[in-house]
Amino acid sequence: MSGRQAVGSMRGGSGMSERTRAAAAGNTATVARTETSVPRAVLRSRSRAERSTPDKLRVLLALLIALSLAWGVVAALTADQHASAASDVVAVSEPLSLDAEQIYQSLSDADATAASAFLSGGLEPASLRQRYDADISAAAVRIEAASAMEGASAARTKLPGHLSSQTSAAATSTGDDLATLSADLTVYNGEVQTARADNRLGLPVGAAYLREASGLLRKSMLFAASDIYTNENSLLTSASAQATGLPLMIVAILLGLGICYVLIRTSRWLTRRTHRVVNGGLLLALVVAVVSVVWLAGAFVIGRGELLHAQQYGSGPAGAAARADVAALQAHADESLTLIDNSGDDQYQGDFVNQQKQLGPGPSTLLTKAVAAPGPSGALVSAAVTDAQQWYRAHAALRAQDNAGDHAGAVNAALTGQPADQFTQLSTALSNAITADQNAFASNARSGQDAFTGLAIGMIVAALVMAAACAWGLTRRLAEYR
Amino acid sequence: MIIRKHLVQVGVTVFAAVAVVLGTAAADAATAGPARPSGAHLAPSVRSAPACNPDASSIRPSGPPRVTSGSFMATIKARGYLIAGVDQSTYHFGFLNPLDNQIEGFDIDMVRAVADAIFGNTNPGNVHFKAISDQDRIQDVQNGTVDIVAHTMTITCDRLQKLDFSSVYFDAGQRVLVQKNSGISGLAALKGQRVCATSGSDSPAAIAKAGAVPVEVTYWTDCLVLLQQGDVQAISTDDSILDGLAAQDPFTEMVGDRLTHEPYGLAIAKQHPEFVQFVNAVLEQLRADGQWADSYRRWIGSDVPPPPAAQYGS
Repeated sequence: MSGRQAVGSMRGGSGMSERTRAAAAGNTATVARTETSVPRAVLRSRSRAERSTPDKLRVLLALLIALSLAWGVVAALTADQHASAASDVVAVSEPLSLDAEQIYQSLSDADATAASAFLSGGLEPASLRQRYDADISAAAVRIEAASAMEGASAARTKLPGHLSSQTSAAATSTGDDLATLSADLTVYNGEVQTARADNRLGLPVGAAYLREASGLLRKSMLFAASDIYTNENSLLTSASAQATGLPLMIVAILLGLGICYVLIRTSRWLTRRTHRVVNGGLLLALVVAVVSVVWLAGAFVIGRGELLHAQQYGSGPAGAAARADVAALQAHADESLTLIDNSGDDQYQGDFVNQQKQLGPGPSTLLTKAVAAPGPSGALVSAAVTDAQQWYRAHAALRAQDNAGDHAGAVNAALTGQPADQFTQLSTALSNAITADQNAFASNARSGQDAFTGLAIGMIVAALVMAAACAWGLTRRLAEYR
Repeated sequence: MIIRKHLVQVGVTVFAAVAVVLGTAAADAATAGPARPSGAHLAPSVRSAPACNPDASSIRPSGPPRVTSGSFMATIKARGYLIAGVDQSTYHFGFLNPLDNQIEGFDIDMVRAVADAIFGNTNPGNVHFKAISDQDRIQDVQNGTVDIVAHTMTITCDRLQKLDFSSVYFDAGQRVLVQKNSGISGLAALKGQRVCATSGSDSPAAIAKAGAVPVEVTYWTDCLVLLQQGDVQAISTDDSILDGLAAQDPFTEMVGDRLTHEPYGLAIAKQHPEFVQFVNAVLEQLRADGQWADSYRRWIGSDVPPPPAAQYGS
């Protein structure tokens, strides 16, 4: 009897249990030929042809071994798919979207810092220069790391059985964006350095280079970084959905429970037939089956809970805080660029007003959304709301000062006065909030991943033990008929 | 990569601009008829209001500068400072010196002389500078945002409909700035090539008229960036402005003859003729006592020409 027939008979679960009962009662049934396609009448006529108990035992033995191995395959595949999706969440998608987010932040910070440094004249403060340099190298390192990881994950997705074709489409676009970022970063830094050199010589063309650099950063680089973030976030969502998805797991667990049921029925039939209380092999197989089903279900429930928690309390709130932080950084760059342009309330001030509107607080603004997100950073984000409102007030005072003709005073305020202090507080509060949320994500996601550790191997070992135990238990009974 | 995106944007803008300009030029050619001598380069404004003379359009002063009671000068004096709309990116005329965040230049010297005459002192705080773009110059004077504009601003008949100007304080003319050793001899040699100018100035029209492709930006220094990056082949505008750009990049040079005549004046709202007279009186003094020459020497060059002679329309 082939394994396929065994699985076939298994699928007709209710029909088979009837037949098993019939066999147990009439002592004549031919369990061996239980193709579901065979009509009942034929089955009955065949059951006339008497079959001995050893024959039935042999058939049962083959069936149970096949079922055990089938269980091993299905359970191990299910476990592996969930484990690899969980490790995608932890090891690939989240770091990549984290990288994208930090590239975005570094670039926005570089934009704001370069503008501040430029504003302070030819002799820029060392601290601003260091901060700019740190931003640029952080962005470069992140772009490189993301490119390497993106390459590795693109290679992984070519393996059979891995995430869907959606992944490779997203990977291509992420690859293009990373190439854009890498090329633009060099151009951007070159323009900022030219601006700095010209500024140092007292040449007005320096301001033009800074405007050009800032335009490149805002129109191309930030766009690419946010594109990566969006792509990777959707991959993160799909990896997480796969890790926490129900259908395959339910099928596997139902199969496991079905096997337990078959083992129990077989054991009871054997007890009646052979008048032994317990068959040791079948009992062992049953225990192992129950343990493996409980393990699989338990790991899934725990892993799923942790991953969902990681998303809800970690990556979700972190993303909300990061979006607020980027809007704040861009508005800060606008504040400096308005002063560098020195033409009163210009396009950059217009952009400041836009960023302020997006940032909030207010209905469906970034800050309000970040406060509403259920992360561990609630208090930090609430503090950021107050900081933002104070910054807006200080900024309005600065604009009034500049528009009244006190440009030098406004520049001083932007560099060392209240607007500068309030912005620093706001940005620090948001950065801390992001870190807290990301830590929450990382620890929960890792627990989620850990729940799947060793699961696939465990399922294979369990299946082999079950098969061996069934074989041992039934061959001992068979031996008694020789 | 981004430069290419940028180029596409600029390209589209330029294409639209060229289309408009070509259309206008064709219409002009049709209306002008065969009488106009071919190859004549006239400032666009000269065509639109033929009855005026930009060089002699201002109001004659009635003596040395005096702050009469009830005049606009008295209002400014009561306020405590003059508000001047100036450029902050045109080297040597009006630019923000990054070393001290102060606006300086030839135009700024003219404004300071006016403020000093109103207040009777040389306190630097007697002027508040407001940096404005080329496009905002006319409306800011008209709506009183600024008292006076000193912004390399050419007196044209169009603008005279909307504003008053002082007598001519500087003579400029449109020329072409290119990279050294480029072999380009003038605007005529730039047919079909990309040439930069600011929007809101007269230059894009003149560039298009010569058959080149105007590329418009906000500030003149943006043009220098494009030239240095090889995005445009040349910059064409008043030689006074080009001189300031060339001073920031020794690997550029001005070529060709002056294509237009651009007389600069200080712009003042039409409600204040007494202020125009006052400013003209100040300019007379600057011409006479050598301050004009000093400013020229300081900002523009040691080869100082005589200042433009004051001519008045009334």
